Amino acid sequence: MNKPLLKLKDVTTGYFSETVLRNVNLDVFPNDFVGVIGPNGGGKTTMVKAILGILPLFKGSITFPLGKPRMGYLPQVSSIDKSFPITVKDLIGQGLKSKSVLMPRLNREQKDRVYQLMAEAGLNKFAQKPIGELSGGQLQKALLSRAIINEPQLLILDEPNTFVDKGFEKELYQWLQFLNKKMAILLVSHDIGTISPIVKTIACVNGDLHYHPSNQLTEEILKVYNCPVDIIAHGPVPHRVLKEHNL
Amino acid sequence: MSEVFSILEYAFFRNALAAALLTSILSAMVGTYIVSRKIVFISGGITHASFGGIGMAYYFGLNPLLGAAVFAILSATGIEWVSQKGKVREDSAIAILWSLGMALGIIFVFMTPGYTPNLMSFLFGSILSVGKTELYLLLAFSVVVALFFRLYLRPVVYSAFDPEFSKIMGLPVGFFRYTMSVIIALAIVISIRSVGIILVLSLFTIPQITAMLFTRNFANIIPLSALWGVTGSLAGLFVSYFFNIPSGAAIIFFLTLQFFVVKAIVVLLEKIRRRAD
Repeated sequence: MNKPLLKLKDVTTGYFSETVLRNVNLDVFPNDFVGVIGPNGGGKTTMVKAILGILPLFKGSITFPLGKPRMGYLPQVSSIDKSFPITVKDLIGQGLKSKSVLMPRLNREQKDRVYQLMAEAGLNKFAQKPIGELSGGQLQKALLSRAIINEPQLLILDEPNTFVDKGFEKELYQWLQFLNKKMAILLVSHDIGTISPIVKTIACVNGDLHYHPSNQLTEEILKVYNCPVDIIAHGPVPHRVLKEHNL
Repeated sequence: MSEVFSILEYAFFRNALAAALLTSILSAMVGTYIVSRKIVFISGGITHASFGGIGMAYYFGLNPLLGAAVFAILSATGIEWVSQKGKVREDSAIAILWSLGMALGIIFVFMTPGYTPNLMSFLFGSILSVGKTELYLLLAFSVVVALFFRLYLRPVVYSAFDPEFSKIMGLPVGFFRYTMSVIIALAIVISIRSVGIILVLSLFTIPQITAMLFTRNFANIIPLSALWGVTGSLAGLFVSYFFNIPSGAAIIFFLTLQFFVVKAIVVLLEKIRRRAD
């Protein structure tokens, strides 16, 4: 059996004394594309922060059996201060490590890499513009560029589809499926309806975690998993398959 | 006009001029960080807390600037600690420091026997009486901060903008944020002599918002606010000398006036350009 890239074993964590996640187990393999769903306050972002190593664990362990991977991270857009005087070029450059701690500058090659990514994301003409002048979709593109500039082996995205229009969403998902050929992706979203067609597997986080090794969600499964999410079926007329139900 | 040049023959005026220039450059660097991180209120708390140190130093017969520096550094790092832990409401913590510092300062000054000669100069600033030692201190500190910014602007900006992401990238975010807290505290204390406790914060904010009418790039805001700081401070300095008003009030008045004039011109030009399109 292949070794996983990331292994969560009995992870219990939270903030201060408040436990948000309980006994979570999850294996993520290279080239996995996991959709992480669950209600608000269910612990999706908490799990992400634990994986990224910025939140200490109360119990359990998070290990990387294949060696510590390079990780890319796209935080929730609400955590970004859009009025901060930083240019798009500098925002994307934040995803690169400078070679020296004492002289933390980017070298020629790294600067070229920033411009290359901006060109790929269609953000070239915004290079010197402050991030406050970007639209919702453009900001997400810039944040995604920052997340992937280091060519991560594990890409973690926290609600990349907030404040964006449908056109951008489609573009984003195509981009992610392309990236998935080279890296494992963990995509957090409250909007299961739109992500289920593109992810390979689904993890439902609501205090604890239930893993579903397929991207097909049925009402039955959601009931078992106790996961109150809306499903919008894809068809000529979108209709709700599952109503929000009580815990 | 000849009167303007003749005052340059006085050593005290040349000192004041140098102090105004250096203070403008120092506050351009530190103020850009303060405005970008939106910690103007925190810096206000640090400023007023330092008055407690001034009062205590008077009472014990020490150098008031030293007392102010100790209080400012303790409150600056204390607030940074509180905000990183996130257990106490940050604004409440600042309000407590702010009023406690002022209260302590007033109590100690009141308890100090005799007349406290320089008290007014700490409240309202007296740039015309800046001495050689203070000037060298200001120069040395400005050079240190300039070097720090020259080398570490990238991590300083990143740990201010998105500390969480910076941590994931392996930046020593805590180190840069605490170092900046200490730099802010010392910059405030050193600038108090020029413009006084009550007005010092405007020196760290008004040139920056004037500069931000033109650029929203951290690295470019610094030289531009240094320029606006220098012009406003020099105008204030001359007026303060010729009309015999406190330097702090005169400098801040001109910095603010300058902001409104520049803002009006920018808006007007924008209108003309739009009409031309």
